[in-house]
Amino acid sequence: MARYGMALDYKNCINCKACEVACKEENGVLLGADKHRIWVGVKEIEGEFPLLSIASNTFMPSQCQHCEHAPCQEVCPTHATHYDENGVVRVDPDKCILCSYCMNACPYDARYVDDRTMTVDKCNFCSDTRLARGETTTACQATCPTKVRIFGDLDDPNSEISQVLRDREHFSLKPHLGTKPKLFYLI
Amino acid sequence: MAVEISRRRFLQGSVAMTVIGGMSMAPSNLFSNEKEHGELSITTKTGTGEAKFVPTLCEMCVNKCAAIARVEDGVVTKLDPNPMFPKSRNMLCPRGNAGIQALYDPDRLKYPMIRIGEKGEGKFKRVSWDEAYDAILNGTDKFPGLAKILDEEKDNRSTIFFCAGEGMAEHTFKTFYTGFGSSNWLNHASLCLRTVVSGYGVTLGAYPQADLENAEYIIMAGANRAEAIVTPDTMDFFKRTKGRGAKLICVDPRFTNTAAKADKWLPIKPGTDLAFVLALTYVVVMEELYDKAYVEKYFNGFKQYKNHLYAEEYTPEWAEKITGIPAEDIYEIARDFMKHAPKAVYYPGRRSTFAKNDFQLRRAMAIFQALGGGIDTKGGLVFGKKLPLKGHSAVAPMYAQAEGVDVARAKGKPGYSDCAIVSGGGSWIGFRNRILEGKSVYPVRGMFLYKHNPMMNMPNVEKTAKFLKGLDLIVTIDTMPSDTVMYADVVLPECTYLERTDPVKTFGGPEPSIAVRNKVIDPMYETKPVIDIMRGLTEKISKPLFEITKKYDEDVQDDIADRGEAEVYKEFDLTIPFEHSQEELNEHAVSGYPGAYEALCKHGVFYPKMEEYFKQVSANEHVYYPDDEKAYSVREGKPKTNSGKVECNLANIAKKGVDPMPTWRKEYEYHVPEGKFRMLTGRHAQFTQSGTANNVMLHDLIHENYIWINKRVAKKMGIKFGDMIEVSSEAGKTRLKAYPTEKIAPDQVFFIHGFGEESEALTWAYRSGGNDNAVIVDEIEPVYGGAVMHSTNVEIRKV
Repeated sequence: MARYGMALDYKNCINCKACEVACKEENGVLLGADKHRIWVGVKEIEGEFPLLSIASNTFMPSQCQHCEHAPCQEVCPTHATHYDENGVVRVDPDKCILCSYCMNACPYDARYVDDRTMTVDKCNFCSDTRLARGETTTACQATCPTKVRIFGDLDDPNSEISQVLRDREHFSLKPHLGTKPKLFYLI
Repeated sequence: MAVEISRRRFLQGSVAMTVIGGMSMAPSNLFSNEKEHGELSITTKTGTGEAKFVPTLCEMCVNKCAAIARVEDGVVTKLDPNPMFPKSRNMLCPRGNAGIQALYDPDRLKYPMIRIGEKGEGKFKRVSWDEAYDAILNGTDKFPGLAKILDEEKDNRSTIFFCAGEGMAEHTFKTFYTGFGSSNWLNHASLCLRTVVSGYGVTLGAYPQADLENAEYIIMAGANRAEAIVTPDTMDFFKRTKGRGAKLICVDPRFTNTAAKADKWLPIKPGTDLAFVLALTYVVVMEELYDKAYVEKYFNGFKQYKNHLYAEEYTPEWAEKITGIPAEDIYEIARDFMKHAPKAVYYPGRRSTFAKNDFQLRRAMAIFQALGGGIDTKGGLVFGKKLPLKGHSAVAPMYAQAEGVDVARAKGKPGYSDCAIVSGGGSWIGFRNRILEGKSVYPVRGMFLYKHNPMMNMPNVEKTAKFLKGLDLIVTIDTMPSDTVMYADVVLPECTYLERTDPVKTFGGPEPSIAVRNKVIDPMYETKPVIDIMRGLTEKISKPLFEITKKYDEDVQDDIADRGEAEVYKEFDLTIPFEHSQEELNEHAVSGYPGAYEALCKHGVFYPKMEEYFKQVSANEHVYYPDDEKAYSVREGKPKTNSGKVECNLANIAKKGVDPMPTWRKEYEYHVPEGKFRMLTGRHAQFTQSGTANNVMLHDLIHENYIWINKRVAKKMGIKFGDMIEVSSEAGKTRLKAYPTEKIAPDQVFFIHGFGEESEALTWAYRSGGNDNAVIVDEIEPVYGGAVMHSTNVEIRKV
């Protein structure tokens, strides 16, 4: 029993997409540009050459936020989407009927359709691969060149993530929606 | 790895080594065995059962980062970073992760093949390895073999040339070249970092590394470490930018991902960096901001350089007009840099040659860096330490009939002068064009090509195609059916890096180590590692070629009369360097370090006291050496030049017509005629040139390259995102889609290199995007003969 979350030192991100590839290779995510569990968000730069706003060009790594109050879980008619014993939002492929309510409900656009398993899929913190083998990092964290990610148990006060969240300021995405994401962006 | 060469004897005049470079592969329906692409879903989810783990080194680019391959039921299901390697610091980039797709690429070269169609047509027949070797020696009805060519050329070994792309097994191939006895070797250097390595080499005595883990102030000009990943620089650096210890000044005509991490971005006019550095230097010298003790102790020619800067009036105001960078910024950067020195870095970078003045630019950068004393010191540029390896024996016979440029000159024939200094990697463009223009002093008829793709990697594709068509015999060793492989007569399929053990390598720096690429799985199809290919080939050709030498080489005839044929042949036996397996050679190479070979097999990495020093600090952080054991300073700041000084004024190169001190010339000024655009090219984090062009996973991330056009210009021209654009220059044309953006100047366009392949055997790469080298004009840098990549003006139109 744990309560897994992830802190992102997003200022380190160089938008290299190593995390996306590692995730696909680890979890057998389908090929295709629209099939991904994680991604890096980039905004169009502000200004006109040569006067450009450097600050407007940030890279925001993102994925399923593993909300404590997950809208996708609330709308799922078959309980395919559920919280596992570690607070990870998971999808049961046997129960998913591809109604796509969850895709519409997710405020973070975290879900996509896996055409092979006919499931609405998304990040599961490598629960059925790395964590199932007893490993303690996700594929995206392990591979990241600039070490953006810290994965761990939010309930363990001695975990690295708990320590970093105590020591550093951070924010969540769309906090006003009350979803209580478990991804934390470090300032 | 060092080679101890056993020389036969010293002939009257040595065979000069000239230089060349490249990388590539070839196709037909022999290639892809599953053409039903589009439905491909070849990622494999990792399992939870039994798995084997093999430490290896990545080959998706030149960095050689350490990886651990996960193998389940004989299938490589995942590549994870190996945390024990100081250079790559527990990471794999997107390309490293996508290495599995290089291994399982359905388009891979699978069998030896020989050409049955017209040259360049890409029609081949599958043959056995022995048949392929036989075709190399004896030819077919379509092409002559080595025996015929060398007999006709009276054993002039230089009629066959050799070229290789960068890689750990390049050395193995080069051993074959050495034994073969040609004077023509080309590698990627003149298309890559020749000028930077040489510029720093002659100025500081070495091409140093930058300590980006500790530098406080970094000028990154013409280097893009967020997209052109170099380990450990990229990882060390971007954890510290954005107000977190390292101030970054990014100087680049384009707004790159590196610019996005900068404190200040200065869009400089392409090709004018030299003026920028000269003005920085001017400020530092005029205001006496430099490290006087360092200059006093370690500079040669400082006064002359100072007088030169004053006499030429390289002021920031002067530079502003040339570079477009405001004078006040230049003053501020010069002052700030010296405030932080020696923990300040003018980043040397790698990259290809962008402008004709690149050699002088690198010299000016090195001198500017040294003025702050940031040489061989923590937070500056560092030489570091290297753990030496033991060499192995090679065969280097002297062939009296082999011609080289020096030999030609000695015989009173005109030599050639593509560039002032002929270095160990040659000038590829110089070599190609000389042959095309009929200026070679002897016929060049055949080539051996390893992991090199000249059709994609050098400017003016049309000329390269003509050049390849003109050669009698082309033998390619590669993993993929590249554009160049299409021109081959004999195709020898190499296995990928995950299927072979390569020569062990030592990695210098503040935290030196030795690392090895261990074979993860056995070679698939009928592919082989290059050392096995060399063994098979030399067994076939060594004796018959010696017969030709016997026929024409009087020295050898005399020698045989004296000592008997068996004794003499020993020195011409090309099979000798390939007698041992790679594993045996590696064990010998590290035999000076107790326990090293075992550690390399087990961990992939070794350095003395690794067991004691290596520690995991957190999930993301590791310590490789204690701080006081890191080799930041190994010479107390003393440059590595012969004089032990920073060389400001190189009188000896002046004799070759090269400016002895960095000098700005009128011809370097940036100029784009009305209606044209300056063409820029560059790198991207998800692609390594044309080498990864067909990688399905990376192709997912970037389907094709787009041409950057300034948004306002695009609007005026009626160009929208995704419109097809034709780019043309005097060299040729290419087509790709438009990306209007404000990240580029109105008179420039940019697209990344490595796209627009014409080989139909590449399912994903074929005609995906545009090829920069189809439009870049083949101009060469005058000192080392590097290909100049950023001096072409192009026209664009919507089609």
